[in-house]
Amino acid sequence: MAMATSTFSPPASQLALRRQPGAAGRYHLLSFPRLRAAAGEAPVEAPSKPLPSPAASNGAAVKAKEPEPAPLPRFRDSRWVNGTWDLKQFDKGGAVDWDAVIDAEARRRKWLEDCPEATSPDEAVVFDTSIIPWWAWMKRFHLPEAEKLNGRAAMIGFFMAYFVDSLTGVGLVDQMGNFFCKTLLFVAVAGVLLVRKNEDIETVKKLIDETTFYDKQWQATWQDEPKN
Amino acid sequence: MTSLSSSAAAARATFMPSSCRSRPAGGGRMARLVTRAAASSPKLPSGRRLRVAVVGGGPAGGAAAEALAKGGVETVLIERKLDNCKPCGGAIPLCMVSEFDLPLDLIDRKVRKMKMISPSNVAVDIGGTLAPHEYIGMVRREVLDAYLRSRAEGAGAQVVNGLFLRYEAPKEPNGSYVVHYNHYDSSSGKAGGEKRTFEVDAIVGADGANSRVAKDMGAGDYEYAIAFQERVKIPDDKMKYYEERAEMYVGDDVSPDFYGWVFPKCDHVAVGTGTVTHKPDIKKFQAATRLRAKDRIEGGKIIRVEAHPIPEHPRPKRVAGRVTLVGDAAGYVTKCSGEGIYFAAKSGLMCAEAIVAGSANGTRMVEESDLRKYLAEFDRLYWPTYKVLDVLQKVFYRSNAAREAFVEMCADDYVQKMTFDSYLYKRVVPGNPLDDIKLAVNTIGSLVRATALRREMEKVTL
Repeated sequence: MAMATSTFSPPASQLALRRQPGAAGRYHLLSFPRLRAAAGEAPVEAPSKPLPSPAASNGAAVKAKEPEPAPLPRFRDSRWVNGTWDLKQFDKGGAVDWDAVIDAEARRRKWLEDCPEATSPDEAVVFDTSIIPWWAWMKRFHLPEAEKLNGRAAMIGFFMAYFVDSLTGVGLVDQMGNFFCKTLLFVAVAGVLLVRKNEDIETVKKLIDETTFYDKQWQATWQDEPKN
Repeated sequence: MTSLSSSAAAARATFMPSSCRSRPAGGGRMARLVTRAAASSPKLPSGRRLRVAVVGGGPAGGAAAEALAKGGVETVLIERKLDNCKPCGGAIPLCMVSEFDLPLDLIDRKVRKMKMISPSNVAVDIGGTLAPHEYIGMVRREVLDAYLRSRAEGAGAQVVNGLFLRYEAPKEPNGSYVVHYNHYDSSSGKAGGEKRTFEVDAIVGADGANSRVAKDMGAGDYEYAIAFQERVKIPDDKMKYYEERAEMYVGDDVSPDFYGWVFPKCDHVAVGTGTVTHKPDIKKFQAATRLRAKDRIEGGKIIRVEAHPIPEHPRPKRVAGRVTLVGDAAGYVTKCSGEGIYFAAKSGLMCAEAIVAGSANGTRMVEESDLRKYLAEFDRLYWPTYKVLDVLQKVFYRSNAAREAFVEMCADDYVQKMTFDSYLYKRVVPGNPLDDIKLAVNTIGSLVRATALRREMEKVTL
């Protein structure tokens, strides 16, 4: 880099790139010429330097140049063409294999998160996740979760209906007519949806605090207003 | 105030403290304030004019001093460094040019295109919806500040080169404040300046994020971000790319709670980033910003490195007696974008107007209630803007997934139009309800997709 007076410290979040020998079927079909070559020689390891202490690197006083780190391999994928995924290469029996597109995009984002790259106007990234149709997202992410939650709700429902019936003798049909039972049902459904783990209760409490915190900061000056 | 006669109390400006306190400012339904001249406050002795000290000569101080002087108040503006190049992004909205009658030659560059770049380098161009006369003005702070100060001087304010040290509160209810400062005068030959004092009736603290006036009045602290910036002189052909374009980089590598930027200045670019929560790592974030923009600033030479704190929210106390804060000293910087110049100047102007009105053009003493009127009016006018930006920051700067969704949303024309309208004219306009619903659905969709991809990313091992 030609910025002579700067102290360049490589991002500390670099990982040694590993190539898994038994990579999942989809991945080994991809051609990563640079990665394979690099893996063939040795895993590319960017030297991780200890960050210069703040006192030492203030301003332009530090002139000593650290040795240039080895250039990181850029993200390359034969299906990534002109800054977007070439859907024709994701063909599966005539239709586009959206699952593969989702996987490929997740992999690309993970790569770039670990090794951020310089942007360039020639290779501008223009991929937009909304080209993947909504039903592909549903099938992949929503349906398994929905199945799990419905299962939980059904189990809780059955047990509660049995429990109430055994205690009060009120059958399922009569339970549904009672306002208190309907409220309990509503609470149970909401609970199953919102509270998946114990930590979620804390998260909800924190969210409520967060939404009103900024308002409180702005109101602070009015708290000690003298009474006229 | 106990020295008022009962008949005069009836003529007081209407000010309803209870409704202000009980209702949250979020609804924007602050009580309607009628700023009538406080006919109850005593007329100044021997017909002298009200004296106000404005501490700090930035946009807030300059605007305040000019409005005070125009309103007939005897104004002293104290500035410690008249040629100060305040480290700053330097972006001003269109409404500032019209509201403050700024001459167009103050503006070095008119930015009409912005590029938002996500953590995975998805780049979105915004600005396509701008009308030909709309732009974001980039100014040099030393030029803008000097201009506003010269206008204040022209209106009758006295500009003093000195460092504010402290003030003493008055002993009696209508007494004067004593301002202690170090007077700098090149002709006197004294290096450190000589200690001087003078008496004023009110003090406007416009001395920025590290305000001494705020410290003296016990205004309390705020959380602040540290903004770090390098001015880089890049070759002319690369400078052409930034002719009308500014870039904004988001990502955990660039900043965990803010953004990195490349803003064009007169003949160089400013590359910088900021953070609230990870201040010790700022150099790392700066390196990451430079890496992301590497190809575009290659061959550049760093001509200046600067850093400055940016307040995240207003101080707990913005007024005490007849001392009040404006601008960065008060903490009027928006979240999400970190914009402060316009709000500094506007708050200075509004504070000055409240003082002029409350003192009936400098003939009567002002009181804390007059200064609170400025606070109430400012909060009422700009609370929606601040709240919306706070919500945007909370939702979209949380994580890389949220930032990806944010950049994706910016590709939408409606979003661009709303964003620029609210930025350029400082009004939060609801817009077409159907479009709003579509926008809400799209936002949720983007966030859901980005979060889903995030979960997939966690399963991937490279």
